[in-house]
This record gives sequence, C-alpha cells and structure tokens, in this order.
Amino acid sequence: MFSTGFKYFIGVTVLSVVALIMSLFVLDQVALAGVAISMLIVVTALLAGIAVVTRDGQTKTSTPELSKDLTTKSIWPLVTSIGVVLLALGLVISSLVFFSGVIVLLAALAEWMVKSWSERSSRDASYNSSARKRLLNPIEFPVLAALGLGVVIYSFSRIMLTVNKSIGASLFIVFGLVVLITGILFAVKPNMKRSLVVAICVLGAVGIFVAGIISASTGLREDLVIAKSESHEHPECGAERSEHFDKLAEGNLSLRSSVDATIELVDGKLTARIVGFNKPQNSVTIRRSTATNFIFHNLDAKEYRLVADLGNRAVAEPEGKTEKNLVCTQLTAQGAEQALVLKIDKPATVGTSYILSVPGIEGQSIELVVP
Amino acid sequence: MNHSQRHSNLKTRVASVLLVTSKKYQKIFGVAMATMFAAGCAQNAPQDTWQPKGPNAKIIDDLQQPVFAVAGIIGLIVAVAIIYVVFKYKDRGQAIPEQTHGKPALEITLTIIPALILAVVAVFTFGAIFKLAKTDDTEMIINVTGQQWWWEYDYPAQNEFGINQPIISSGQLVMPVGTKVLLRETSRDVIHSYWIPALNGKRDAVPGRVQTLRLEADAPGLFAGQCTEFCGLSHANMRMEAIALSKADFAKWVANQQAAYVAPAKDSLAQQGEAVFLNQCVRCHQVNGLLRADGTPAIAAPDENVWSGAAPNLTHLMSRNTFAGATFDLLSKQCRDEVWNAPSDEIGAKYLAGVTEDCLNQKDLRAWLRNAPAMKPMYANPTQLTATGGKYRGMPYLALSEDDISKLVAYLLTLK
Ligand code: HEC
Ligand SMILES: [Cu+2]
Repeated sequence: MFSTGFKYFIGVTVLSVVALIMSLFVLDQVALAGVAISMLIVVTALLAGIAVVTRDGQTKTSTPELSKDLTTKSIWPLVTSIGVVLLALGLVISSLVFFSGVIVLLAALAEWMVKSWSERSSRDASYNSSARKRLLNPIEFPVLAALGLGVVIYSFSRIMLTVNKSIGASLFIVFGLVVLITGILFAVKPNMKRSLVVAICVLGAVGIFVAGIISASTGLREDLVIAKSESHEHPECGAERSEHFDKLAEGNLSLRSSVDATIELVDGKLTARIVGFNKPQNSVTIRRSTATNFIFHNLDAKEYRLVADLGNRAVAEPEGKTEKNLVCTQLTAQGAEQALVLKIDKPATVGTSYILSVPGIEGQSIELVVP
Repeated sequence: MNHSQRHSNLKTRVASVLLVTSKKYQKIFGVAMATMFAAGCAQNAPQDTWQPKGPNAKIIDDLQQPVFAVAGIIGLIVAVAIIYVVFKYKDRGQAIPEQTHGKPALEITLTIIPALILAVVAVFTFGAIFKLAKTDDTEMIINVTGQQWWWEYDYPAQNEFGINQPIISSGQLVMPVGTKVLLRETSRDVIHSYWIPALNGKRDAVPGRVQTLRLEADAPGLFAGQCTEFCGLSHANMRMEAIALSKADFAKWVANQQAAYVAPAKDSLAQQGEAVFLNQCVRCHQVNGLLRADGTPAIAAPDENVWSGAAPNLTHLMSRNTFAGATFDLLSKQCRDEVWNAPSDEIGAKYLAGVTEDCLNQKDLRAWLRNAPAMKPMYANPTQLTATGGKYRGMPYLALSEDDISKLVAYLLTLK
C-alpha cells in the first residue's frame, strides 16, 4: 500500500495547504508567504507522487528480514513534518517560528534516527527499546522537565501579574504550602500508588496552566497597566513627585569616578565640581555629540531632582510643533546621588542655552557650554 | 624632518627581525643589530622616551633610569653566570656530578634578595604613580577627545588665560610653558590613548569616562606623539603634536583663536570657495561665525553624517601646521623644517605665523580634498556604510572638480 515516504510527503503537503488557507486569514500581506507555501505544496506533492510510484525506491532484496516485526509505531514522521511546516512558515512569518521549526525538526530527526537504529539492533524487542532509552532518556528527561517547569512558572507568573497585590502575596504562600505538604505526603507514604502520584502532579500542573491562560487573557492588574502606559521617554521633570517615575529612586551609584562633573546642591546653592578646577564652577563645558556623565549629589534637606533643559525638539504629532526637551533624574533624597547622562549634538544657537537646574530651587542654574 | 624619516628607524628594526631567520643573512643581521643599537643613540628622535622635556616626564625618567641600571646590572650578572656555566661544565665526556636537591639557606637567600630589590623599586614606583595622578595643583584644563582617527581639543573658558569663550582645535595641542596643564580625556567611539613621550606617559581615552593626564613643558618646543591604543584601520595615522608656547605667545594664540570670523573679500576666489564650502563641507565641518546665504549661522551636523559624531572644527585651520590627525603637513617641507628646527625662543613666533600662501603644502591639501580616503585609509566608501547606518568613518570622497578644489584652498587659506 502507501509507502512511508509517501505518507510523510503527503502529510507535509496537506499541512501546507492548511497553512496556506490559514495564512490567507491571518496575514495582512500574503504575497510572499503565499508564494513560499505554494512552492512547498508543489514540491512536496511532487515528491509524494515519486515516492508512491517508486515505492520509496525499495526493491525486494533490500528489505531487511530482521526488523520487520520488531518495528513499533512512531510519531516522529508526524513531528518532523510539523517541524518542516513551522520552518517554512517561519521563513515568512517570524524568526521565532522559524527557529522553533528548526528545534522541532532537529529533535524529531534525532529521535527518529535513534529509534530506527535501535529497532534494528537485535531480535529482542525489549532489548531494543532499552537501547533506545539508554541513549535518549538522559537528554529527554531534563529537556522535558525544563519545558514542563517553564510552562508552570510562566503560567504562575501570569497569575501573579493579574491578581491584586495582596492576594498575590497570600497566593504565593498558599501555593508554597501546597507544594510542601504534597511533598511531605509523598515522602511519608512511599507506597502510594504510582498512578495517584502522577494524577496529583498532572492535575496541579494543568490547574496552574489553565489559570495562567485565564489570567493572561484577563490582562494585567490596573496599576501595572497605568505604569506601562506612562512614557519613559517623557518623564515628568517637575518639582512634585511623579507616581511611577519616582518610585524606588536610586540613591547609590557605582559610577563615582571619571565623570564629567558632579553637580552639588547645598543649602539651596547649585554648583559643579569638575576634576582639575579647584573651585566649584557654575558652567560646564561638555563635548559635542559625546555621552557625558554627571552625578547629582543632593545635600539639601528635601528631595530634589536635577533637570537638564536641552531646548526644544520636534514632536511627531502634530507636525511642525515642538516641545521642551527635558532630561532629569528621579527625586533624590538628602545625601543621595543619581546619575544623569546627556548627549548634545549641536552648540546652542543665539538666544538659546542648555541649562541644568533643580525645580523648586529658584535662581540657581548651571550652564552647559557646547563648543 | 618629515614624518617618513621619523619612522625609518622602525623599518630598519622590522627588517632586521625578518632577516635573522636565514643563516645566510647573519652578517647582515650583525650590521642591522649595530644599526639598531646605534639608533638607540639617535639625537633627532622626537618620540624618544629617554629625553624628558617636562617635570612629569622627568618623574618617569627619574624612575626608569635607576631601575634600568639595576635591571641592567642584574641582567649582566645573570648572563655572565650562564655563559660561565655553559662553558665550564660543557660536556667533555666527564662523569655526571653528584645531584643534590634542596638547599634551604640558598633558596631563601635567592628569594629574599629579589624580593627586597622589587620592594625598593615598588616604593619609588608608587611614589611616581601618585605624583602623576595629582590633579589638585592644576593651572589649566584642556578637554581632549579621541575619535577615529584624530584628536580634538577644546579649552573651557578660563579667564586667567584670556579664554572667555571655548576654543576648539584638532591635531596640534597648544599649551603655555611652565603651566600645569590637565588633559581631561575621553573618546567618541573606541578606546584611544594619548601619548606625548617627551611630556608624560600614556593615558587611555575611554568612551563614557573622563580620565586625566598631566602635561607641562619646561621650554617652548614642538613635541610629537601618537595614539597608542589600536583603534582601527588608520590607527597608525592617528598622530598628535603638543606645541608649548611662552606665556606671551600663548596669549597671542588665544586671542587669535577667539577672533571673530572674517568673511572672504567680495568677488574673490576665496568667496567662491566659501560657497562651495557651504554646499559640500558644512554638513560635517563647523566654521564658527560662518553664515549661510540667508544670513543664519551655519551649524554643522557631524552627528548626522559621521560615525563618531564629530569632524574637525576648521575655524582656524591655518593656525595649525598639520591636518588629518597630524599625519600630513599643512606647511611645505621647507617651511615646516624651519618651525621644527627653530631654536626654542624663536619657535613661538614661527608657529604663530601659521600657514601663509607661500608656505602652504598645496599638494597634500589638494590631494586630501580630491580624495581623502586615498590618502588615509578610512571606511568612507559611500556604498559600504550599512554597518554604520549610513554614516562615514572619516572624510569621504566627494568628487570635487579641480576648479572647486582651487576655490576651497583659497577659502581655507583665509581660515587663520
Ligand atoms: C561626511 C563628513 C565630511 C565632509 C562632507 C567633509 N569632511 Fe573634511 N573631514 C571629515 C572628517 C571625519 C575628518 C577627520 C579625518 C581624519 O583626520 O581622520 C575630516 C578632515 C578634514 C580636514 C583636516 C582637518 C584637521 O584639522 O585635521 C580638512 C582640511 C577637511 N576635512 C576639509 C574638508 C572640506 C574642504 C570639505 C568640503 C569639500 C570636507 N572636509 C568635507 C569629514 C568630512
Ligand atoms: Cu586612536
């Protein structure tokens, strides 16, 4: 009847047809994907035809007697064809799909190879299967375990991102307790039925997985949604505390030496300390288009932030409009330090200047001179 | 003396190493060795590390002289001992002498003596390191920025020196004598290293960091150096010179660097050159005070066109003697020799004369404008800029006509 090779190629063909139809619905632009998948269909259909006509190129004499009744059912042809389809689809859709195709394909080919090798290694079926296991179990178990754990952990993290903060904390405790108790149970009852142990574990994993899917489709909890929508490129650089930008403000720096200048705020006075200048300065000459590091050291009694006013910049919408180009540190507590990195590409033009200042402290500023 | 002469010694050395491999050339090797040895005594070697011309280099020299002497004496003793042993005990068929193992007294002595010598060297080395790292006695600050493949200098406003607006220059570092100058170095692309052997050791210019290097010259003079951290294709063409001027001459130099831009005379060749410059060059090169045809200031945009984000500021190009990473001379050979060979007290006046039309090295400057990457290897091929997102590394080939080049040269000559 149908030869193995034929089944394989016809399988790929059918799956490709499915993929083509799906891509018509899923993708906005099918042109390239359509051509690629159609070519795949044509090629695999042709190969399937050749395979069935030539009966996989097998002649009677080359069929080894030995293995016939020792071969067992195999899922690897199916997995291989899935890999090929992922590979082809990935070429047009995304590199992520492409690489998962590569991985599936490589894994399936390796499994397939070892399986068919083991089935021909002796006349004893149980020996053959143990040979296969010896070779592949040391790889299969860790990989499968890692995958399984990954799914569980990822699902759990989705749950934690959805539930309310305090519920999340208790959930974490409960989950930990459940794991601990189940572990103790297994330990004190070593004779428990194997199927029962498996059932408990699978049930737990599936439960978390399902809860994870539900959480992911529910979306993030509200404060995370707000934090996400807040722009990091346009931080609020005012005197008042910004709810998210100023959260968990840094107070310590590893970047201490080799900075361009340390800007100090003492008793309402703003000065720049620059290595080499013996006295505090009120202007800093910085290099054009060079990343320049500053440290803001707040020695005043209140929280303050350092703001660099870099003139105006064009905004995307509406065209022709400009907005203030501000760069700032977070609110910095008394005695704490923060870094500010600036890159200024053009010298200031007539009538404009680049200024460092501290909102809430009037009449104090440091000029940034860009030659 | 020109740049190729300065490096002929190096060529001899490389050649001599290559020749050793063949026995036939041993005689030549001997001669080469002798040449090499003699090269060590060369008087006219601007990058000689044994001729300090300022207190910082002197600190290093005062350390290396005695260390070299001690190391030399020890080296000699060891060499003589080895030669003696080799000849004394050479195999004449005699019986193998008694084999011993472990002589604690001897071993301990032979460990303690070198340790003591190294400890003494370490004390003086640390002393020198701390002296060279001092920054609190600085009298003048110059920002030094490295990029592929030239150095930029900018002088922050320092009223005591008459600098009341930043000065910006490239290639040649101009400084007053007898003044504790502190370089604040950084880089715009990869790591470079600043080294003027006559004035101090090396200091790396590292992107994102500002590192300092003290410089001070005892007397007016010209001191050559080169980038000493491999930084890409034209690393070998990334040179620099430090020019120490008397305080009076330095004040003149400062005044000239701050002088307002003077537009070329109406209907002159130079004025046509200014127009070409506005068209072709101003997208990379800043000339302070230059106005566009519509009267707005021409602000260069090297950040949009050059990978490092910078191109030399040409406002006072002709006040320098070299260009393109101090690799080529702006002065003709004769005029340049006159500056380099001038006695210390005349160097200032000669240097401040800058580049006059008679002294201009037309050939090299024209060749640079005609096709810069042909003169200095740079990744500036317009068709191969994908790696840098369309930006040039170095100055590109601009396909200028000879006519335009003449106009540009006339214009550049006005930038004094
Ligand atoms: C794409 C940017 C770019 C353009 C356009 C450009 N240059 Fe340059 N130019 C550079 C860079 C970068 C250097 C530094 C090269 C080096 O030294 O390695 C340079 C160096 C020079 C130097 C040597 C300056 C010095 O102090 O060392 C001169 C002179 C010069 N250019 C003139 C011109 C003129 C005249 C034009 C217009 C015809 C022009 N350049 C156009 C990028 C540019
Ligand atoms: Cu370099």
